[in-house]
Amino acid sequence: MIPPGHTVITEWLTRKGFTAFAFQEETWQHIAQGESGLVNAPTGFGKTFSVFLGAVIQYINQHPADYQKPRKNGLQLLWISPLRALAKDIGRAMEEALHELQIPWQVGVRNGDTEMSERQKQKRNMPEVLIITPESMHLLLAQKGYPDVFKSLRVIAVDEWHELLGSKRGVQVELALSRVVHCKKALNSTPLSLWGISATIGNLEQAKEVLMRPLGVAGIIVRARLDKPIHIESILPDEIEKYPWAGHLGIKLAEKVIPIIEQSKTTLIFINTRGMSERWYQTLLTIAPQLAGAIALHHGSIEHQLRIWVEDALHAETLKAVVCTASLDLGVDFRPVDTVIQVGSPKGVARFLQRAGRSGHRPGEVSHIYFLPTHSLELVEAAALKRAIKEEMVESREPMILCFDVLVQYLCTLAIGEGFTAAQAYAEIKNTYCYAEINDSEWEQVLAHIVHGGNALQQYDDYKKVEIENGLYRIKNRRVAMRHRMHIGTIVSDAMLKVKFMSGGYIGVIEEYFISRLEPGDSFTLAGRNLQLVGIKDMTVIVKKSTASKSIVPAWNGGRLPLSANLGLVLRETFNLAHSRKAKEPELTVLHPLFRLQEKLSHVPKSNELLIEHIETKDGYHLFVYPFEGRLVHEAMAALLAYRISRILPITFSIAMNDYGFELLSDQPIPLDDSNAPELFTTDNLIHDIQRSANAGEMAKRKFRDVAVIGGLIFQGYPGEQKKARHLQSSASLLYKVFSEYDPYNILLRQAHQEVLDQQMEEARLRAALHRIQQSNIVITVPVRLTPFCFPIKVDSLREDMSSEQLEDRVRRMQQQLEKEK
Amino acid sequence: MFLPVPHHIHNNTFWLSPERCIYWEQGQAIIVSDLHLGKTGHFRKAGIAVPQSVFQHDLQRLFHLIQHHRPQQLIIVGDLFHSKENKEMELFIRWRESLAQVNFTLVKGNHDILPAQWYTQAGIVTHAEEYSTGGFCFTHDPAGCSATSEGVYTFSGHIHPGIRLNGLGKQSLQFPCYYFGETYAILPAFSRFTGLAGIQPTRQDSVFAIVNQSVIPIQ
Repeated sequence: MIPPGHTVITEWLTRKGFTAFAFQEETWQHIAQGESGLVNAPTGFGKTFSVFLGAVIQYINQHPADYQKPRKNGLQLLWISPLRALAKDIGRAMEEALHELQIPWQVGVRNGDTEMSERQKQKRNMPEVLIITPESMHLLLAQKGYPDVFKSLRVIAVDEWHELLGSKRGVQVELALSRVVHCKKALNSTPLSLWGISATIGNLEQAKEVLMRPLGVAGIIVRARLDKPIHIESILPDEIEKYPWAGHLGIKLAEKVIPIIEQSKTTLIFINTRGMSERWYQTLLTIAPQLAGAIALHHGSIEHQLRIWVEDALHAETLKAVVCTASLDLGVDFRPVDTVIQVGSPKGVARFLQRAGRSGHRPGEVSHIYFLPTHSLELVEAAALKRAIKEEMVESREPMILCFDVLVQYLCTLAIGEGFTAAQAYAEIKNTYCYAEINDSEWEQVLAHIVHGGNALQQYDDYKKVEIENGLYRIKNRRVAMRHRMHIGTIVSDAMLKVKFMSGGYIGVIEEYFISRLEPGDSFTLAGRNLQLVGIKDMTVIVKKSTASKSIVPAWNGGRLPLSANLGLVLRETFNLAHSRKAKEPELTVLHPLFRLQEKLSHVPKSNELLIEHIETKDGYHLFVYPFEGRLVHEAMAALLAYRISRILPITFSIAMNDYGFELLSDQPIPLDDSNAPELFTTDNLIHDIQRSANAGEMAKRKFRDVAVIGGLIFQGYPGEQKKARHLQSSASLLYKVFSEYDPYNILLRQAHQEVLDQQMEEARLRAALHRIQQSNIVITVPVRLTPFCFPIKVDSLREDMSSEQLEDRVRRMQQQLEKEK
Repeated sequence: MFLPVPHHIHNNTFWLSPERCIYWEQGQAIIVSDLHLGKTGHFRKAGIAVPQSVFQHDLQRLFHLIQHHRPQQLIIVGDLFHSKENKEMELFIRWRESLAQVNFTLVKGNHDILPAQWYTQAGIVTHAEEYSTGGFCFTHDPAGCSATSEGVYTFSGHIHPGIRLNGLGKQSLQFPCYYFGETYAILPAFSRFTGLAGIQPTRQDSVFAIVNQSVIPIQ
């Protein structure tokens, strides 16, 4: 017999002229049977409806006769979504469907924007569907009586699981799930079905395993198997610069973008950094003034309302083009978008696919994506991407393990709400993937940290946070509890300041670091506007409109993603191909002059070779190495190599790198040759050596800031208490210093060091890269001058010290010089 | 003990210690600034688990310095305490009792907000703005130093001075330092639980950086 729920839904869809996709039908069936799993589907193919309608079908099956009758159901479906901005859209779509089906369910949204009154209302009367962020989910766990909320719960959906996995927000989800599952077990209530929704990633199976772990089931993967053809076209420069450098070429090609925009309905132009997106927006307006009003700018530092406006305008088809950053990577589809332009390297296959998928959503349509290189060598990347996509080499997202900062925060959260017992909490967290391997001693340290504040002078200490009462861990101090609630979350941003007009209009946010280098009267660009700095008052940057013709574009920290390992691999092979002249791809054939020069001066490495160049210039002695492993691995490898060479002979270096290779520069000849190269790249004593290399400490200091904020050591203050809070503020670098000197085994400090190894240095990848190098032929050349390969690295190292105009002049002179020497 | 470095002003000798305090030979006094005692306790009371041993260690260092130099007087140019009273102050009181032979003189800083009788009980003589002795003046904030009378040299603190030293290959590090201008000096913060504020000295000024366990003249 076909269950009634399925019939109701199918009939409703048929009336609307729709047919369900096979993967949706499959998911519905699994949910109806109370099973759990992971739906793998691209955006724009009704992944929301696969799980949502599944929950509805399940409800109809429970109440076949009177499912349209209002009743107090309590929470039925909990929808965890990483994106606040999406909640409204998803909620609206659900309400529409429910309305048409005449099912009297309420849909509620709960996130940082939700009004207090609305939360109170939800507390009294939970809606049937609650759309919530991981942070708000934890806030819910800080409430008294929260277990009752989950009594009636039937389905949990975790949307965009591929985005959450691999981040500390994902860990928050794991912890929240483990709590809900145990609450339900304790209440002996309705069975729970748990569903993740994920785009394609390399480790889908593991993604499912991590999600299912708290529930203790294996789970099923439902794949959408919707092949969407992708058409990739590179925008080729008319003339290939033999000395390429990053950032420069892109803007020069802007004119070639105009016809593409004009021929398309709506175009998204993805730029890698917020700073460059500001420049692109300005440039497009300058060369195509007719587009004024029809193009917009969208990035993470632009005021929220303005971003919403841009998104709405995209839906309404009133914009021709939007210049954006990763800020538009996620989220609902913008149907009118039919063309996507990627400026510069997308750094990974998955990201490129996701962006390509932003165009042509309807089944059967082709996704069009243009690749616009920011320097000519990036064209090789375009060719590599085509191959990687053909071979489906999508990156994995590694789940995080043993994040003690998140655990400290979570336990304090529980201590505010119902409190917890040590044995129960320990058992629960060990049921998550993240903390499965935690040992007793680490657990004891975490508890000691929140109860006693580490080692203290017993008699002279008034540390107060978590107190134990009859075995129950509780936070009773109201101020401590309030402060903790304001700090729940794992997204740590750089110190940001609001930017406002003197007259009051709010423009966006900007990093404190950037603004601190400006003087009043200086002009800078934000949200596409030229602004003049008036002054800084109460954590707000006051500006007025600038009439200056030149302004500084802020360089936001972060956002510099490294090249993925997958793309690096294909890239090495593509270089091989490019030089062999067998290549047919237009991207590679145009590069022939560049490769010829590279070969003439030095060498074009094959995929089983590591190229090292010794070059002497008036700046000193350069060593360029090209592992093609992404900037993070290069940074670590450069520091490692510098440390190992300095043991042979006392020598100091400055280091520079990009995604293709790195540079060591010194004022004396660098002792690296065929005889010692293999041992300089060995994996022996790797950990020991990188921890001693110069910047491991610096990196740990940077990481410690995030850990300290999440772990509750840094108090960021909150509105209304600014003055009082000042006595409790300390910088992360000061805390790092104090902990390193006085409490070096502190669990949060140790985590910062571990994160440097795992993430900053990508130790696993570094080790793999060194292994590969061990098995490669090391080719050492001594070119008479800078080569096409090393030029972009050289320019990157100049960039830090110079304003962009000085830089452009200097690079131009260098290029002319080198061309002349030919 | 680590070697202090002498610095002469108006025929007086001031010994600059790498432990962030000055021994004034003619005045038989130790001059310190910005101890911020009780800061760790203040944080910990609010549930922020900074290591308390910083505080303990700061007191021990000062004790050793007093034993070493055997001064008659300890002159604190402000910010002896970080905030309101907490349990760490009890340890301070006991510590103070063991040093009964030394006079404690505090020129109040912006952080010194304890009630007057507290200082009296702790055996600390306080001065609101400045304190003068032996031809020298002591105050907390160097910004107020220009107002002092002609020919009087002033010692101050407050800003936790640091000096940036640039090395090869774009390396740059900041160290706590002693600053001696024409009319006034700024002491480094004594507490290890304090940050640094970079200073830009002019050519005539003298600056001594504290690098690990030594005092190094920079200019």
